[in-house]
Amino acid sequence: MTSMDTRSIVTGEGEGDGTAAPRRARRRYTPEGRRSLLLTVLLWLCVLYFVLPLWWLFVSSTKSNTALFSTFGMWFGGDFSLWDNLQALFTVRGGIFLRWMLNTLVYSVSSALGATLLATMAGYAFAKYDFPGKKVLFSATLGAVMIPLTALALPTYLLFSQAGLTDTPWAIIIPSLVSPFGVYLMRVYAADAIPDGLIEAGRVDGAGEFRIFWQVGLRLLGPGLVTVFLFSLVATWNNYFLPLIMLNSSELYPITVGLAQLQAAASGGGGSQTLFSTVITGSFVSILPLVIAFLFLQRYWQSGLASGGVKG
Amino acid sequence: MALVTGAVSIGVLLTGCTPGAGDDSSQEAVTQEDIDTAMTTPTKLTFWTWVPDIENEVKLFEEKYPDIDVTVENVGQGLPHYQKLRSAIEAGEGAPDVTQVEYQYIPSFVLNDSLLDLTPYGADDLSGDYVDWAWNQVSPDDAVWAIPQDVGPMGNLYRQDILSQAGITEPPATWEEYAAAAKTVKDSTGSYISNLGATQAGQMIGFFWQAGVKPFAYDGKETVSVNVNSDEAKKVATYWTELIQQDLISTDVDFADQWYQGLASGKYAGWLTAAWGPIFLQGTAEGTAGAWRAAPLPQWTAGDEVSGNWGGSSDAVLASSENKIAAYELAKFINHDEESAMRLATEQFLFPPQVSVLEDPAFVDQESAFYGGQKVNQLFADISQTVDTDFQWVPYMDYVYSTYEDTIGTVITDKGDIAAALDTWQDQLVKYAEDQGFTVE
Repeated sequence: MTSMDTRSIVTGEGEGDGTAAPRRARRRYTPEGRRSLLLTVLLWLCVLYFVLPLWWLFVSSTKSNTALFSTFGMWFGGDFSLWDNLQALFTVRGGIFLRWMLNTLVYSVSSALGATLLATMAGYAFAKYDFPGKKVLFSATLGAVMIPLTALALPTYLLFSQAGLTDTPWAIIIPSLVSPFGVYLMRVYAADAIPDGLIEAGRVDGAGEFRIFWQVGLRLLGPGLVTVFLFSLVATWNNYFLPLIMLNSSELYPITVGLAQLQAAASGGGGSQTLFSTVITGSFVSILPLVIAFLFLQRYWQSGLASGGVKG
Repeated sequence: MALVTGAVSIGVLLTGCTPGAGDDSSQEAVTQEDIDTAMTTPTKLTFWTWVPDIENEVKLFEEKYPDIDVTVENVGQGLPHYQKLRSAIEAGEGAPDVTQVEYQYIPSFVLNDSLLDLTPYGADDLSGDYVDWAWNQVSPDDAVWAIPQDVGPMGNLYRQDILSQAGITEPPATWEEYAAAAKTVKDSTGSYISNLGATQAGQMIGFFWQAGVKPFAYDGKETVSVNVNSDEAKKVATYWTELIQQDLISTDVDFADQWYQGLASGKYAGWLTAAWGPIFLQGTAEGTAGAWRAAPLPQWTAGDEVSGNWGGSSDAVLASSENKIAAYELAKFINHDEESAMRLATEQFLFPPQVSVLEDPAFVDQESAFYGGQKVNQLFADISQTVDTDFQWVPYMDYVYSTYEDTIGTVITDKGDIAAALDTWQDQLVKYAEDQGFTVE
């Protein structure tokens, strides 16, 4: 329940800013004279750099296995077999791909909501309270930013194995709830976005600390919440190694591990299958939700980051 | 077919009559009564395999034994599978009852007593139902460690159109002819007669197998023998070295992008591969359908009929299983039941080691349009009879394969002397074995 509240607050915050964003955007582009050819070219190169792989992915997902290896990669060739590929994708191994999609969705959304809430509370506490051990704890958090999740995967596995939690969804969600970078981000953000005066005012009016955080703090932190939410969402969505070692049952796999397994079916040996077009189409389908999430959330994110500081 | 089923039930009956009742102790034979009890007791089994859609065959098993509930888990293919298996065995929990194991990895699990000897469960009776060499892979001595699932006897897939363009009407029968054909094909069409996968240990070991090389041996305890640089091995290595140095054989890494393109574009006029190759090729090079043919491997001595093996798997029961009888019955059913074995061969395209399938017209008489209507299954079924029966492995094949890439693989890519590199490889393998505490013969 609390997580849902967080999200509705985020959305509410964003809607207020959404109307402001286009106005500001228009103003920014008015000075025509300041266009620079060099910058334009550089930006277009960047666009190519980022968009070409996606383009390749899209083009390749319209090809059959044979066309994949006999036609030019950056343009359509052979028969247009996107529908066949999609059909194959959603029927391979009894339609397990849909299950993987749902798993990824459940893992990443629940992890992202939980991680956002925890990081926000911790960041708020670091920013607004003085307590013994604050410096040490915050240094420890900063240090934890440096440790990649991959390095912790094996120790985590051993712990979860003793607790009997391996091969369950918890094995993916619980480790993903911790986001040191999110804590750091929220601390910096909360320090600026929530004026101490507001908190004082809340206290004078008789609100408890938790109510101040919940009703005053969270609303001002909206854009930061979206940022942390997106970061954790993408991190869990793309996580490969942790589910790889934690999970054994195909029905629990997220897309990353599932696709890798389909891809492995093409290595030499008995019963090899050529599922390349299926795997590529699967990769294409698997990034669509992320692309959509970013398109929808980016305006809150952008406008929020820019305006958060002056709002208080 | 009916005969085989009959033989099986007699086998089971005979086991039933074997004196010496016991529970599931590993020494004494299991009685039919034990089996009946076990198969009618509600039991949960876990089966780790990467065979796609094997749920279909498992369903047949569950229909026959409604009290047994099988969970199929695919934890990865090849190395990831073994890593998970080993960590589960070491952790003492989470390991499956039945697991897929490729033949070359069986010794590594025999080494630490992880596999159940299936002899007391009646596995001995199955020995005649599989081609000899495949049975020897799962049962190198008295014990039976697994039930053969699929095999990869090697043959020669070639582009008839390219070869006839070069004036070659018959597939080369000897390696000498193959080398001559390679030159003709390259000169007149520009295609390589085939590709030697630079990092593909399985293919090279298959060539060794065909040439009668016995590079590895293992006594099931602590003694191994490594002999990858014998004279016969060097003969094979020198043969390929010369072809590569004359630029008559390409050395692209197989199962990679460039290689698939090469197959589709006619850069390679052939592929020396295993019995699982024909179907695999069909999936990647549709555009060349009808132009391919299959033939046995070229021979070292004219008139011989010898082949090697590349790939294939078996299903083993782990010693840690709490339901050993049911687990054995599952491993047996999947690879022995008439319908299950036939479906594995015709739906999952696993090339069967089971004699009854290899003789079944429904399997061998299939004509493949991709190969110009040729009966490819029949050809490979015949080849399967010619595989050397006495080929063994060492219990550390992961290391053997990874060092192959480093020592032989780089030499192949650089067009160096493969025979000389075999010496380096030999030293590494012996040293590793000694470091691990094996006695090297």
